[in-house]
Amino acid sequence: MIRLRNLERRYPLAPGKFFYVLRDISIDVAEGEFVSVMGPSGAGKSTLLHILGMHDHGWDGEYFFNDTAVHHLKAKERAALRNEQIGFVFQQYHLLDDLTVYENLDIPLSYRKVNKTERAAMVADTLDRFQIVAKKDLYPRQLSGGQQQLVGVARAIIANPKLILADEPTGNLHSSQGEEIMELFQKLNSEGTTIIQVTHSEKNAGYGNRIIQLRDGWVVEGNKK
Amino acid sequence: MLSEIKVALRGLAKSPGFTVIAIATLALAIGANSAVFSLINALLIRPLPYQQPSRIALIWEQFATQGLDRIPVSPPEYLDLEKEFQSGTQLAAFTYQTFNLGGGDVPERISGAVVAPSLFPLLGVEPIKGRTFAREELGQGHDDVIVISERLWKRRFNSDPTLVSKSLLLNSRSYTVIGIMPARFEFPIPLFGVQGNQFAERVDIWKPLAFTPLELKERGSRSYGLLTRLRPDVPLATAQAELDKIISNWIQTYRDNYGGGGFGARIYPLHDQVVGGMRTGLTILLGAVVFVLLIASANLATMLLARASARERELAIRVALGAGRWRLLRQMLTESVLLGLAGAASGVILSVWGLEFLKEIGARTIPRLGEVNVDLTVLIVTTVVGVGTGILFGLIPAFASAKPELTEALKEGGRSSTSGARRNQVRNSLVVAEIALALVLLVGAGLLLKSYARVQNIDPGFDRRNALTAEIDLPETKYPQRGSADYRHGEAMISFWNEALRRVQQLPGVEAAGYTIVLPLSGSNTDSSFAIEGRVLGKNEPGPDEELRIISPDYFRVLKTPLLRGRFFAESDNGDAPGVVIINDALAKKYWPNEDALGKRITFDDTRKPDAKWLTIVGIVRSIRHRGLDFDPQPEYYLPLAQRAQSSMILTVRSAQDPRNLASAVRREIQAIDPDQPIANVRTLEAVTADSIAPRRLSVVLLGAFAGIALLLAGVGIYGVISYLVVQRTHEIGVRMALGAQRGDVLRLVVGHALKLVGIGTVIGLVLALLSTRTLSALLYSVGAFDATTFVLVTVALAAVALLASYIPALRATRADPMIALSHNA
Repeated sequence: MIRLRNLERRYPLAPGKFFYVLRDISIDVAEGEFVSVMGPSGAGKSTLLHILGMHDHGWDGEYFFNDTAVHHLKAKERAALRNEQIGFVFQQYHLLDDLTVYENLDIPLSYRKVNKTERAAMVADTLDRFQIVAKKDLYPRQLSGGQQQLVGVARAIIANPKLILADEPTGNLHSSQGEEIMELFQKLNSEGTTIIQVTHSEKNAGYGNRIIQLRDGWVVEGNKK
Repeated sequence: MLSEIKVALRGLAKSPGFTVIAIATLALAIGANSAVFSLINALLIRPLPYQQPSRIALIWEQFATQGLDRIPVSPPEYLDLEKEFQSGTQLAAFTYQTFNLGGGDVPERISGAVVAPSLFPLLGVEPIKGRTFAREELGQGHDDVIVISERLWKRRFNSDPTLVSKSLLLNSRSYTVIGIMPARFEFPIPLFGVQGNQFAERVDIWKPLAFTPLELKERGSRSYGLLTRLRPDVPLATAQAELDKIISNWIQTYRDNYGGGGFGARIYPLHDQVVGGMRTGLTILLGAVVFVLLIASANLATMLLARASARERELAIRVALGAGRWRLLRQMLTESVLLGLAGAASGVILSVWGLEFLKEIGARTIPRLGEVNVDLTVLIVTTVVGVGTGILFGLIPAFASAKPELTEALKEGGRSSTSGARRNQVRNSLVVAEIALALVLLVGAGLLLKSYARVQNIDPGFDRRNALTAEIDLPETKYPQRGSADYRHGEAMISFWNEALRRVQQLPGVEAAGYTIVLPLSGSNTDSSFAIEGRVLGKNEPGPDEELRIISPDYFRVLKTPLLRGRFFAESDNGDAPGVVIINDALAKKYWPNEDALGKRITFDDTRKPDAKWLTIVGIVRSIRHRGLDFDPQPEYYLPLAQRAQSSMILTVRSAQDPRNLASAVRREIQAIDPDQPIANVRTLEAVTADSIAPRRLSVVLLGAFAGIALLLAGVGIYGVISYLVVQRTHEIGVRMALGAQRGDVLRLVVGHALKLVGIGTVIGLVLALLSTRTLSALLYSVGAFDATTFVLVTVALAAVALLASYIPALRATRADPMIALSHNA
């Protein structure tokens, strides 16, 4: 599904001098895999995730998503591809505070120009699937951390993406809440969704079937060509 | 769209402080625009309340070589034009006349007009009750009918349904009421700037024309306005050409009346005459409120930019979830348009109050002010302004925030991104723009204020303190006029005037009392031509025609106008004595520049006639500014009332104390002579003077108010930007203080930034002010459009306010605890 070749991300420090966040990243991720990206702070894990999620465009190298050469696409085309194929789960949940649970789930569908009736059906299904129907009219501030992340995951998968990217999805949760989320990811993966997560937790990494280790911007382990 | 509105409303409800300030700011700015547009709509745009008003025109005569234009016509000239002028379907002469309405407890003077029967059909307005004049209701003996206004009907007669066909006592004569005109009907319409600073009061009674035999003989006695309705197929130029031909024939036929050359007549579309004088002032006012709106928009934009910074995370999430740039823009513009609409709604309420206040203070200054209201047109325009303003001030922050840096905003502990720097630049630019615009308004207001102060301090040529005035119009039926068989040199009138003066002079506190036919600075004027003994005019040389006053002996003592040479009139200057005249020094300088005018003689008669009545100049007084405080004194000459009886005079009384205390006593004395005789328009000379500069005062008040609002908004804008800057740089300030920066260093850092913005804004504002103050030239007196003192003072004042606004947050920054500041997440 994903092929990275010689991917590099750097920031200019002074004329002719750069700071490298990612260096010569070449990895493959097959469809249906559950990959954990691990490494110490500053290794470039989140940056890699945001590049995979097409949030970050300032990189060099090659990135193929299902044989589409992302590195040749313009920003608008990347955004369209992202909307179609990728869901993102954030460590801080990043729910919209002024929207109810229902509306938070609805918003990615409205951005994808799904018509109102269809949206209503999809949101209802998702609420049911995640067993949060009773909370649909609540605002994020009225939910616990675990419930907010649950909604975050629900929002990420509502448009049926092929790939879920999760950046420290349990970082702000209690262990029991974190377990619930990881079990949910496992279930989604078993249903065919490819998952790439960034995590510090060995336990969380154990839910996946492959670990990629990054250090100082390099892949040091788990690369697959 | 509905979801965006819902989210926007929720967001605004969550920040009540921001929302209230935003709506209040917009209400002020949009309200001001709405009020001024209401003025423009009613006074300039709305058609006059007549049928097909664009075809209605006034005909004025002129003596170009003597610099006299917009002169009324005489009855013989009107009758000739009625026969000869084919370009108009109808022609109607009219003039003002006051009526003493008797029959009640207190007699009342009512403003009225004497009009041709063709007037009402010409204007095309039907009465609400009864009828208007028939063709035959014209001329002496047929003119004992009147039409009254709905206003008078309601006020004085309690809307009596049986009033039509009843009789009223006017000027001691019985008239039958035949019709009532609707409240919206007004004629003659006051012409701003034609009668001078004051316009005639609204007319409530119309009577048919009835020329006297004397009027029908005197071709040169011009006191009637002339209205015409041009034929639909006749362009103005064609009508003017026809009129020129008629005039040319008159000049050939009546050489004695039109000698001197330069006589002509012009057709003026009525709408232009009514609105022309107001256009400049209203345009300047509109410019001022547009500036205020721009400043308010800039303020709102800076506030929204700060809000967008706080929403960067939310915007990034929306983009991450798939929102395109247009969806983000739409979301942000929805919020700003909602604010705009709320501001517009509140602004309409403010403008209604503002207009009521304006009607109070501007009643004697702006004609037809009573017609100004917030109608559907104004509401539509205000709504459009509200939406447009919302888009205007929402666009900049929306564009500045619609491309958030996703990775920075979405990461854990993400710090403010480069888009924050971009927003700061935009915010600074907006504040600079606000300061520039505020400076332009302040300079304009400052120049007008200086002008006004200069005008107020002008010596008018008389002492305006402690003097009361009252208008008295004697009815013809009791006091026969010139031309009437019972005139007898005006004995009845002079007897009344003398007795009234005697009684008033004996009132406690009265130092002097006298009469004049027109008050200085009142907006009224009379003039007459005359001949000077020993001066022979050239073939086409126009004779002297100067402003004429008829006064009683003590008039100048009431005004405390100094006598320069000779003497005032005396009681002995009566009807049996030789004719005498007093002139002012302007007239003396004009006609006797190198010799003494005392003892010289003038006449109104043909100098070739052996029985010409000569008037000897017995006194020269200091010139009075009659037309306006800001007009140079004109040549004037004065005749004694005892030798020139008049039916309408203005009583003037000088008092030792507050002259208003004399009003009831004066009324009592007048009514002791004639219980049916009212006095009207009782006001002090100070009020007359103040009213004469009321338009100028109104401009100062309005422009000053808008400039004040602009200054407040600019101050708030600076305060907001510097406050935000302090919050943004809290961490940096903490580091500086930890490294040894003192309070003064922090103040310099913050205030220095403010000074930079103020400096740039001031330079731009000064350039704009220099370019724009020329438009004010027509409104300035004795002050140049580039008056350096005003520019400097205003700049210093604005800079002081801006610095004060920045000092407060700067002071806050110096009080920050370095340890707390260091831990602040910038």
